[in-house]
Amino acid sequence: MKKLLYFFVIVSILAAGTFLIRYSKTKTGRKRTEQTVVVYVSEDQVFSEPVLKDFEKETGIQVKAVYDTEEAKSTGTMNRLIAEKNNPQADVYWANEPIRAEVLKQKGISAPYFSPNAKGIPSMFRDKDGFWTGFSARARVFIVNRKNVKSGEMPKSITAYTDSRWKGKAVIANPLFGTTTSEIAALYTVWGEEKAYGFMMGLKVNDVAVSTSNGESADFVAAGRYFFSLVDSDDAVNRIRQGKDVVMVYPDQKAGEIGCFIVPNAAVLIKGAPHPETARKLIDYLLSRETERKLAFADCAQIPLHPGVEQPPELKPINKIRVMQVNYAEVAKKMVEIQPFLKGWAEVL
Amino acid sequence: MKIIELNRVSKSYGSNTAKVLSDISMEINRGERIVILGPSGCGKTTILRLIAGFIAPDSGSISIGGHLAAAGKRIFLPPEKRNIGMVFQDLALWPHLTVRGNIEFPLKSGGVPKKKRSEKIEEILELVGMKGLGGRKPGELSGGQRQRVALARALAPEPAVLLMDEPLSGLDVELNTRIRKEILRLHEKLGFTLLYVTHDREEAFSIATRIVVISKGGINRDKNPGLPETETGQQERN
Amino acid sequence: MRKRIFLTSVVILLMIAGLLPVLFMLAKSVTADGCLTLAAYKGVLTSRRQWVLMGHSMALASLVTVLTLVAGVPLGILFGKTDFPFRRLFVFLFVIPLLISPYIIAVSWSDLFGGGFLAGVLGPHFTTVATRLLFGLPGCVLVLFSTFLPIPMVLTMVFLKSVNPRLEEAGRLVSGWRGVLKNITIPLILPGILLSAMLVFLLSFGEFGVPNFLRYNVFPVESFTQFSAFYNFKAATAAAAPLAVLTLVVLAAEFYLLRGRGTEIPSFSDSSIPLPINFGKYRKILFFSVALAVFLLVIMPLAVLLIQSAGFDSYAEAFRKGGDSLLRSLLYAVFGATLLTIFGFFTGYLIRTRALRFWRSVDFVTIFLFALPGTVLGIGLVTLWNRPLTNFIYATPLIIILGYLARYTALTSRISAAYLGQIPGSMEEAARIAGAGWFRRMALIVAPLAKNGLFAGWIAGYVFSLRDTAVTMLVYPAGHDTLPVRIFTLMANGSPRLIAALCIIMVAVTIIPAGILWMVSNPVQEKETI
Repeated sequence: MKKLLYFFVIVSILAAGTFLIRYSKTKTGRKRTEQTVVVYVSEDQVFSEPVLKDFEKETGIQVKAVYDTEEAKSTGTMNRLIAEKNNPQADVYWANEPIRAEVLKQKGISAPYFSPNAKGIPSMFRDKDGFWTGFSARARVFIVNRKNVKSGEMPKSITAYTDSRWKGKAVIANPLFGTTTSEIAALYTVWGEEKAYGFMMGLKVNDVAVSTSNGESADFVAAGRYFFSLVDSDDAVNRIRQGKDVVMVYPDQKAGEIGCFIVPNAAVLIKGAPHPETARKLIDYLLSRETERKLAFADCAQIPLHPGVEQPPELKPINKIRVMQVNYAEVAKKMVEIQPFLKGWAEVL
Repeated sequence: MKIIELNRVSKSYGSNTAKVLSDISMEINRGERIVILGPSGCGKTTILRLIAGFIAPDSGSISIGGHLAAAGKRIFLPPEKRNIGMVFQDLALWPHLTVRGNIEFPLKSGGVPKKKRSEKIEEILELVGMKGLGGRKPGELSGGQRQRVALARALAPEPAVLLMDEPLSGLDVELNTRIRKEILRLHEKLGFTLLYVTHDREEAFSIATRIVVISKGGINRDKNPGLPETETGQQERN
Repeated sequence: MRKRIFLTSVVILLMIAGLLPVLFMLAKSVTADGCLTLAAYKGVLTSRRQWVLMGHSMALASLVTVLTLVAGVPLGILFGKTDFPFRRLFVFLFVIPLLISPYIIAVSWSDLFGGGFLAGVLGPHFTTVATRLLFGLPGCVLVLFSTFLPIPMVLTMVFLKSVNPRLEEAGRLVSGWRGVLKNITIPLILPGILLSAMLVFLLSFGEFGVPNFLRYNVFPVESFTQFSAFYNFKAATAAAAPLAVLTLVVLAAEFYLLRGRGTEIPSFSDSSIPLPINFGKYRKILFFSVALAVFLLVIMPLAVLLIQSAGFDSYAEAFRKGGDSLLRSLLYAVFGATLLTIFGFFTGYLIRTRALRFWRSVDFVTIFLFALPGTVLGIGLVTLWNRPLTNFIYATPLIIILGYLARYTALTSRISAAYLGQIPGSMEEAARIAGAGWFRRMALIVAPLAKNGLFAGWIAGYVFSLRDTAVTMLVYPAGHDTLPVRIFTLMANGSPRLIAALCIIMVAVTIIPAGILWMVSNPVQEKETI
């Protein structure tokens, strides 16, 4: 029994110590300011955290964040935002794609805000009612293994997936999740029901493999297990920077073709945000050219949407890309519509 | 005829360098009823555990039935090969087995065929007055009944020596006397050798044909119960 | 009277922490626009696919359970009962995989098989075959087996300690150690073995990350998909509801297997001498097979992490990026474990003494909460507690502790119940006659007697609180994440170096306090009666 006592004494000392350390940190390390902002983030923590830290440093506003990850298939921030609707804890949602922002708008969880820094961002990447504003985008591109595919024979269009030349040689991330779902919904709005359905069935006929995430698809292609895959541009740039023998191809770039699907990040103000003032400041910060520049040079290599922002050479500037012309609100609606079909599609083993 | 012989046996435990037993020698003859009498903590139980083979002596040797059972580092006969029965202080009845199961396990382990086993079980149950209670679990028995089951279990394989480690310490006076009589009756009938450990003088004198008095670490006196205060002087403490 | 009131309030607190959020979710799932409807359930339960998935999960959970028992119980006996060389080191090593997310182990295995090193040593053909095996049922079984193996192993060791050594000695007089193990020891620790079987079964049944990564569709996938793709809480809850039936079945199986066991006659003795098992010439073979198993199941995947994390820089970065989460993790886990121990002690007491009529339902509820997908519980906690009035709970780390309490009380409750079974009722009665009130009896008699059980419960609570991601991820207040959550969120595009370093740190911090406690409580005491 004495030992038990000793143990708990030690443990309480440790616990008290931890508290002291934390307390002293807030006292000396940070300015004791009442200003905070709570942000839920579905952009990868590796890329978003540095930006938020810079914001903290520059404004003195303390950022409290909840991060999420699609890779590990967590169900974090979106579900929390929905569940917290009646008593919101978050001020800002940093979505890694606009469809989620649209879902929040439809569920009445977000509030409109027109940031002065949104000026210059093409109107296609902004909600007309101000419920979300896009910035720093990813493009949906092909990652192609150079050992398997000669440079003259690269897949050039998304329809390569249904081309019998590539039968059994291509992989795509599970269309039930993430940006892949968005892109397929976008195809439905651009192509129309019939053609898009035909494409989905064509994937089956052509033995296209399904991976759990875009990152995994990129790894498969980098390892030579499959020849190409549709992934997010950051996945492709990442593998190129790792020195893998792969190239990135923007699909459907010829005149008359549908263009490349662009997935911007989206800044969302939460309805009933506990700290609306700081929330607006953070959104302004996210939409700034400086943030776009940082995200372009970071490993996520995201394409700036403000014209003329400096960017690394691997990336094509947004005005040089033939962009798939979509209305994200329509895409979101379409996505809800086709999800049951996609679920069935993904479940047929 | 000697059935157990301890020759200059010493034992200490772990880091504790103080010896629990030092240079003990002792002989037990076939059919004897020997009681080891001594205060608690003097090493009585250790003697039983050495003989049973749960522990090995640090030095000295132990012979059982004329064969060397433990000597030095090399020779050590495992308990199941020593043909010894034992009744523990807390009886140690297996709670998950019935009375019959408790008695059967030693017989089964000894390779007694099935038919013979059930005959033997009924026989011994009758002998200890537990007929008809074979289907009960130990938890469903009274204190006295448990004593009888423990006796029956120890005696069923017909061991040459029965070790008893303060088996009656928890019983009331009346039950204590009854079970003592029972033990004597069974001894008469089955003719085993009994080695009985207790700290109770009365118990010792009522059971023993010979008493070994022991105190911290060694044997003080080895005496005949009829001559309570006379030293026989065979084994002196070193 | 005081006892009944107190126990009832403990149960009520637990229900508020755990059952209420789930009931909240259930209530929501059967209503639409204020009317009662079973639409959400119809959709889920009538789909053929759900039954196929149920079959997959059953196969996976049963295989993992059988294999962990077949290997874990003998290992527990070996390490808990014999003088096997380096047994403490082995126990330590075998426990490591339980402390890392099985998802990370799965990734590390696939790195190992997919990587160039093994291909270079064993030829590319081997890695192709191995990869094919890894992605599917065999891979899931392998990963979950190595993760959950320590559960039956450690529980066997813990329960062996509670066996009165006289019972084994009585057997030794007439039989060799094989016979004693088979007929005496193992039947005596059967409740512990069944408990570990139940835990492993439910944990493997509910595991989602590993099967998802290794391409094996399992039952929890439906609930997960409903959450993450459809944001449909009703369907997600409905999809998880069959787990209540599963819990009932598991408990019924346990009840059936333990039926008619004699009431144990508790007996106290502080000596626990290892059964002198003599392996003879097999000693070396045995040693090498155990060492090989440790190498394959633990060292190899761990080595991948160690190699990936090599270098001072990785650890410096890991501490920079995860240092604060690490401190929080430890703090929450210590608080969580302490509360879990206290609650588990009382529910264990309730289950053991059957002091209240509804003791069986308390047992059922705690185990059901343990089996339920963490997401359902997490969302339930959010919807229940996120109100202006209860912000002091929801907006603070208290909500995480509440989540631990809801999810893991089954562990401490069952462990306490097992230990309390070793205490003769007479001990409490004696104190009662001496005039001690119930609280004094609990604090001064029962708790000290059950202290090894409290220690074991604390360690289990600590380990499981520390490794929790499912609930924590959904409820942690902004800026208060824990280390495993951070590992998960950093994994997306994070450098493998950093993740590996964080995992190694995670292992170290889990094992060190648990190890100290293990030493302090000295569970392998080898005293002898004189």
